[in-house]
Amino acid sequence: MSLPIVIADDSLLARKVLTKALPPDWDVDVSYASSGREALGLYREGRASVMFLDLTMPDMTGYQVLEALQHEDLNTFVIVVSADVQPMAQSRVRSLGAAAFLAKPVTPEALLHTLKEYGLYA
Amino acid sequence: MPEPFLNEDQRDALQEVANLAMGQAATRLARLLDSFIELSVPRVKLVAVSEAADALREMTGIDDTVSAVRQGFRSDIKGEALVICRSDGVQQLCSLVNDPYARSSYESVSQKELMFDVANLLTGACVSSILDQLGRTPVFSAPGLLGDAMTLDEVFQPGVLQWEVALLVEVNFALEDQSFRAHLVMLMAEESIRHMNGALDELLSSL
Repeated sequence: MSLPIVIADDSLLARKVLTKALPPDWDVDVSYASSGREALGLYREGRASVMFLDLTMPDMTGYQVLEALQHEDLNTFVIVVSADVQPMAQSRVRSLGAAAFLAKPVTPEALLHTLKEYGLYA
Repeated sequence: MPEPFLNEDQRDALQEVANLAMGQAATRLARLLDSFIELSVPRVKLVAVSEAADALREMTGIDDTVSAVRQGFRSDIKGEALVICRSDGVQQLCSLVNDPYARSSYESVSQKELMFDVANLLTGACVSSILDQLGRTPVFSAPGLLGDAMTLDEVFQPGVLQWEVALLVEVNFALEDQSFRAHLVMLMAEESIRHMNGALDELLSSL
């Protein structure tokens, strides 16, 4: 069965860039969210074994999504994808339960490295 | 003059391009001010220069005086970048960074320097990064102070700036508990806007 993943970003361009950076032969079922609330909804439907999460989104930021996930069973692997690469932003999201951090613009090489590091892609 | 126009996909793309640019600017600004910078997504808006003062006032709520620094950039997309901050915001920023001579007789010098530092950094990081993502390498001219206590109407008064179209990029920086806002405006001729729209379409269709 394909791995269900969610790409959550309010920008169409950012969703496209990330989709294009996915390994072409990675067996995944991609769902898209353009807000934090949508991302949380998809997670609750079981469509997010892996969640690529932007931090700056309207209605519910990535930080708020991470906080909400902590009150659930957190049965997902969150990879934060952000243009904000200040060290403190990275440590803040890790303390909120994010597994990994990718800087925008996401390159296929950086994404592959992260997926392999966490055993999500062989 | 036809209305300057961005379609929804172009606006989304430009906003994300500006968002990436801001991330780079914030990292540099955090280092300059030795503080964590909270970022929000920059809102972008394209207006005729004659409407820029009103549009900026509406976007930012600024109705008192501002400091403005101008800096030209050239490639086939060319124009002039303005960094605008509230005059009292610059003052506040100055005390926030604990500038050692903020309370000395060099106060005004240091405020001007800080404004130049912030403007230089924002223009350098944002404009370069935006144009770089659109496949252009701009050449910059030296920055100049347009004024340190002027109204928005004075900034955009006819005859001072020769451009037709203003791309307003709302840049929100908040640091610690105080918020410091800086606003970046890219002024361009219509021809450059057409080049920019073409570059945004290319970027979107390449994905």
